[in-house]
Amino acid sequence: MSQISSEIEKCFTTFVNDKKLKDTNERRVEFEKFKKIGIPNNKSENWKYSSLVNDINKFSDLKISKKKQKIDLKKNLLNFNHDKIFIVDGVLYDAEINQESIMLSEFKNLKKIQNNNSLTYLNNAFACDGFELEVTESTKAKKPIIIYNYFTENLSSFSFINIKNNIIINENSELILYFNNIFLSDKKYFFNNVTNIELKKKAVLKKYLSHDHNKNSSLYNFYNINVGDFAKFEYFNYIQNTFSCRDEIYANLNGDNSFASLINLENLNQNYNHESKWIINHNKPNTKSSQFLKSALHDKSSCVFQGKIFVDSVAQKTDGYQLSRALLLSDLCKFTAKPELEIYADDVKCSHGSSSGSIDEESLFYLRSRGINEKDAKKMMIEGFLAESINKISDKTFQEIFLNKLALSNEY
Amino acid sequence: MIEIKNLKTSVEEKKILNGLNLKINKGEVHAIMGPNGSGKSTLSYALSGKEGYDVTGEILFKNRNLLELNTEERAQSGIFLAFQYPIEIPGVFTNNFLRTSLNSIRKSKNQKELNAIDFLKLVKEKSKSLKISQEMLSRPLNVGFSGGEKKRNEILQMALIEPEFVIMDETDSGLDIDALKIVSNGVNALRNSERSFLIITHYQRLLNYIKPDFVHVLSNGKIVESGDWKLALDLENNGYGKYLN
Repeated sequence: MSQISSEIEKCFTTFVNDKKLKDTNERRVEFEKFKKIGIPNNKSENWKYSSLVNDINKFSDLKISKKKQKIDLKKNLLNFNHDKIFIVDGVLYDAEINQESIMLSEFKNLKKIQNNNSLTYLNNAFACDGFELEVTESTKAKKPIIIYNYFTENLSSFSFINIKNNIIINENSELILYFNNIFLSDKKYFFNNVTNIELKKKAVLKKYLSHDHNKNSSLYNFYNINVGDFAKFEYFNYIQNTFSCRDEIYANLNGDNSFASLINLENLNQNYNHESKWIINHNKPNTKSSQFLKSALHDKSSCVFQGKIFVDSVAQKTDGYQLSRALLLSDLCKFTAKPELEIYADDVKCSHGSSSGSIDEESLFYLRSRGINEKDAKKMMIEGFLAESINKISDKTFQEIFLNKLALSNEY
Repeated sequence: MIEIKNLKTSVEEKKILNGLNLKINKGEVHAIMGPNGSGKSTLSYALSGKEGYDVTGEILFKNRNLLELNTEERAQSGIFLAFQYPIEIPGVFTNNFLRTSLNSIRKSKNQKELNAIDFLKLVKEKSKSLKISQEMLSRPLNVGFSGGEKKRNEILQMALIEPEFVIMDETDSGLDIDALKIVSNGVNALRNSERSFLIITHYQRLLNYIKPDFVHVLSNGKIVESGDWKLALDLENNGYGKYLN
């Protein structure tokens, strides 16, 4: 057994002894499943290009994060009308929700995801925190909800945080949810976050995220999304200088005419890495999906994109689209793309493309010939390149928020 | 205004300009005509400072040798190149680009940078006669613009920046008659006793609209003949044959 696996085993023993949870036996079963597979390694195809694996293996002296710590923390609030949920070090801490149709509750014994993935089994075994959010039928939320997810100095180094969230948008309802990760600590920790999302008939969820300025932690985000008839799921992730992160998204288009759009903006420097594994399953006819990723890579940073469009034999008239593009801004950065199409229906439209390259010299000359100095011209071009991801967002308020955020990032 | 002395350029050992001499005084409009491959576009790049060319000689502009300045410094000192093929830059919005360009130039001259409101007022005024809509300015730079829109956008930039020396590289290419008129009117409106132009073209047609003071023939990287606008008519009738060895 690897050092990290034995560390985790030690943690689990302490965890079950301390917590005395009702579902201890179930958790033991989940933990055994994890043990059988073990911490992911680069030998499996699924994790072959993952830097997260190397990072996790460097963890030692793992600690389970402690429950609620009293702190006065309402920082970095955005200045427009919205409802708020505060999560501090993995625990639902506070909320200000003024819409009756939206129900928020603390973690209940949520659905355990079975997918042959050791990190989600690990989450099944450990997770005691998180939230459940439900929007009742026929409600268009009047304002967005922003989840302020703080990581504070109270977290000890080598903390191991498992949270599990559940989001349900009922028939004919709509919500915008912005998950704003705010890193107030430079300590090294491992965050394992599993989110299950159900979109009922004609439901719409726009889920936006940002990961910003995180120097040492390793993040794993797993999403399982079931999209019902005529329902729409839009996902946008703004990643800037996050040390190590893997996002794994399974979007299941289970309803007729359902739609999913996944969008990434990545702006990475130093030796930071980001990995996206996106799988869209077209399980019904007339379903539509789009995957769009733009990555600006500085220094020794790296980006991995594994995007898959799966089309079931019944899913005729599927329309699938995938594009990943990287701007390589140094000789040492690295972009790995593995686009996959797996199609069993015969009347479908699926397109995919991937490209990587350095800054276009002709464009740079054009901007400079108009008096703009080289540094500003490059900045304009990088921002322009990344802004194309933001322009894919359908909500104009958030489009503006992210464009401003991009304009303020001066780290080129 | 500008004096080019013994200008030689080469790209990867291939010689393109072979000792070109040209003097343009304040307020003058010069046209350079020549067959394909004679070095016309290279001349425009050598003047505006495109990298990748080996350039020797001297280009005196306002008592400075331009060859010592980089691309943006030349633009800031008053040189403007209207591109034959304006570059499309997705994600960079036209309005934002125009303002950044104008303010970069103003800043270099120690002038106050324009705020968004003043800039919009100015751009609205300048774009009217060029028939450029606000919608066009809100689109990414040159992306999806027609040939005419791209060239009108070049003239708009010229009108905003107000350079002292303008090089127009085959501005007539890709323009229909109506667009050619709009673009020419835009250029003529900017002609004055302080501003000089160098118009590079294959055809005499553009020169019917923008009447030059002098016409030069460029062949094999050198000016082989100079005259007034009648030389352009002569070229139109007889071709470049006699200048080619």
